[in-house]
Amino acid sequence: MFALMAWRNLRQGGRRTTLLGLALAMVTGLLVLLMSLSDGVNDSMIKGATSLAAGHVNVAGFYKATPDEGFPMITETGKVKAVAQEAVAGLATVIDRHRGWSRVVSDAGSIWAALYGVSVEQEQRLLQTLRPARLGDYVEDLDGLDPDAREGDMRDLAEADTAMLFVTQARRLGVRVGDALTIRTETLRGQSNTVDVRIVAVMDDLGLMSNWSIFLPKQTILQLYGLDDDTTGAVMLYLDDIERAPQVMEQLRTAYAEAGFDVMEHDPRPFFAKFQTISGQEWTGQKIDITTWTDEVSFLVWVITAIDSVSALLITILTIIIAVGIMNALWIAVRERTTEIGTLRAIGMSRGRVLAMFLTEALMLGLFGTLIGAVGGALLAVGVDALAIPIPSQAVQAILMNDRLHLVVEPAEVLGVIVGFTVMCGLSALWPAARAANMPPITAIHITE
Amino acid sequence: MKPIVELMDVVKEFPLGKVTVRALRGVSLQIGRGEFVAIAGPSGSGKTTLLNQVGCVDTPTRGTVRIDGQSTSELAESALTKLRLHKLGFIFQTFNLVPVLDLAQNVELPLLLKGGLTRGERDRRVREIVDQVGLTEQLGQRPNELSGGQRQRVAIARALVTGPNIVLADEPTANLDSATGEQILDLMERLNRDQETTFIFSTHDSRVMAHARRLVTLVDGKISSDEATEAAA
Ligand SMILES: Nc1ncnc2c1ncn2[C@@H]1O[C@H](COP(=O)(O)OP(=O)(O)OP(=O)(O)O)[C@@H](O)[C@H]1O
Ligand SMILES: [Mg+2]
Repeated sequence: MFALMAWRNLRQGGRRTTLLGLALAMVTGLLVLLMSLSDGVNDSMIKGATSLAAGHVNVAGFYKATPDEGFPMITETGKVKAVAQEAVAGLATVIDRHRGWSRVVSDAGSIWAALYGVSVEQEQRLLQTLRPARLGDYVEDLDGLDPDAREGDMRDLAEADTAMLFVTQARRLGVRVGDALTIRTETLRGQSNTVDVRIVAVMDDLGLMSNWSIFLPKQTILQLYGLDDDTTGAVMLYLDDIERAPQVMEQLRTAYAEAGFDVMEHDPRPFFAKFQTISGQEWTGQKIDITTWTDEVSFLVWVITAIDSVSALLITILTIIIAVGIMNALWIAVRERTTEIGTLRAIGMSRGRVLAMFLTEALMLGLFGTLIGAVGGALLAVGVDALAIPIPSQAVQAILMNDRLHLVVEPAEVLGVIVGFTVMCGLSALWPAARAANMPPITAIHITE
Repeated sequence: MKPIVELMDVVKEFPLGKVTVRALRGVSLQIGRGEFVAIAGPSGSGKTTLLNQVGCVDTPTRGTVRIDGQSTSELAESALTKLRLHKLGFIFQTFNLVPVLDLAQNVELPLLLKGGLTRGERDRRVREIVDQVGLTEQLGQRPNELSGGQRQRVAIARALVTGPNIVLADEPTANLDSATGEQILDLMERLNRDQETTFIFSTHDSRVMAHARRLVTLVDGKISSDEATEAAA
């Protein structure tokens, strides 16, 4: 019955209650939306990073023929893979890619790009993630071509001297499937070397990463740099559970050291940011560098931090406003119901019960408001995600790391929001409720005169 | 027989800025079980203040108030609350029902506060007392659907449902027309006879006083007369 009293008193509150509940629902909904945006970007980033640039954990390294020149390469690929397979339980896949950094030239233009030399039969993940782009998205002069056609097949990377690139690159280079590119680079011994490749696929962008990633067959890279067969750029490990990446990295650090490899200190930056540091060091020969996927995309994490900070700021302000609103509404309720409170105290209701009665009101309001808001926000997020709304601006695409609006709803987070806001309501009610509890019973008789 | 209410030289002062209002100036009074007492006196004579001392919603500045042998100034607020819940019933001039609860729920409320009763027992007691005040038909109605007289009868039922030793009523008929007031007084008298509950009520209506068997008159915070009435005979 005390719950019933709280509920009916809330309803008695009329417009005041409705407005507060609505405001609470809106803020909760907004928070859920912002969080799913942040989670969506995170999801896009994980997907982009872990299919284009990195495994969950990466075993890469640098080889230095002279003290002032490092090359992103490891020798003894077989042994490196074997150590990982031995040391880590719960490995989903292990692949390896060559790495390079070079100029890519077409008839119409040129770009700098990270080269990934792949064995296409190892690249099931990539195959599943990427999709050939619409011609209309990168061919300027369609000239009778169907803009909705999607040309090319990544599997053709199995052929020698081929290349797969992304839609933004294709637009900049003015090329399409079947066109030729020249890759120009320097070998370990400082000679400049070039190779001509044929484009076999142009894929939809996958966030910022795809602006500077080009895929080639391993053989082309070996030839380009004059490397021998047992070398590779990085061994990429995919785990059953991505959350275990930091732990596995530590495990591997020990395992490689024990296997006699020279393991570098952990440096949480992508490999291409490390050249400067490496070439400043005295050593020559081979060193192993073990990183997690977050290290390899650390230069992108600011986006998520930014979204989260803006959300936090916004939500904090709105929460304060609502907390003040609830406090105020309850103040008014306590004032309006002075006689009632006094009466209840006179007929024997304890202070604790009076406190509980007002807290219940606030908690009920909180629970209903947040529940409606959270469910509404979550449904909206799922709906928007399902619509896959294209993002018009390329800058925004780059920031959100996706060409579509991608939102991910984490049920645990939504639950956390509901609980958090409800508790906040209770806390804001504490003061007026305590005030009501301390009201002397004598007011029941006095105030009405 | 030991008195159920005992006031010894009770003084109540209200500090009001620089001056001190002396509402009760040494009141001594004993009331036994089952009495039906009216407190009369002009406005400002201290009737409400006196009832507040007995009702344990206030404690005296000096002197002692004993309820069933317990001195109220020695009790903490939580103990006073328990005392009010278990031994006292209140009837207010303005009825003071809980507007969001219906008649039955208003009457059930003190039983819930008391605890330890099953729903069935509570229902039975509520029905019994509501039947005694003659409102069985209105059981599911909210206070704002009831007339003033009906509301006061609900308040009486609420005050009596826990079976208190003492029922206090501060001008219970002041907000009612005289015919309805008479009915309420009749009801109180009947319940007093049937259940041996002590009733103490204040009034400045002489027709209401006539119902009492004992009349205590206050003037300026002091008892000016304390006598048995004709009704007692
Ligand atoms: N809380 C208080 N603060 C200050 N003075 C008070 C307070 N309560 C009562 N008084 C004063 O004490 C005196 C007695 O008041 P009380 O309310 O007991 O009189 P009463 O006999 O009930 O009067 P009425 O017939 O008007 O209800 C009055 O002078 C009143 O102004
Ligand atoms: Mg009075």
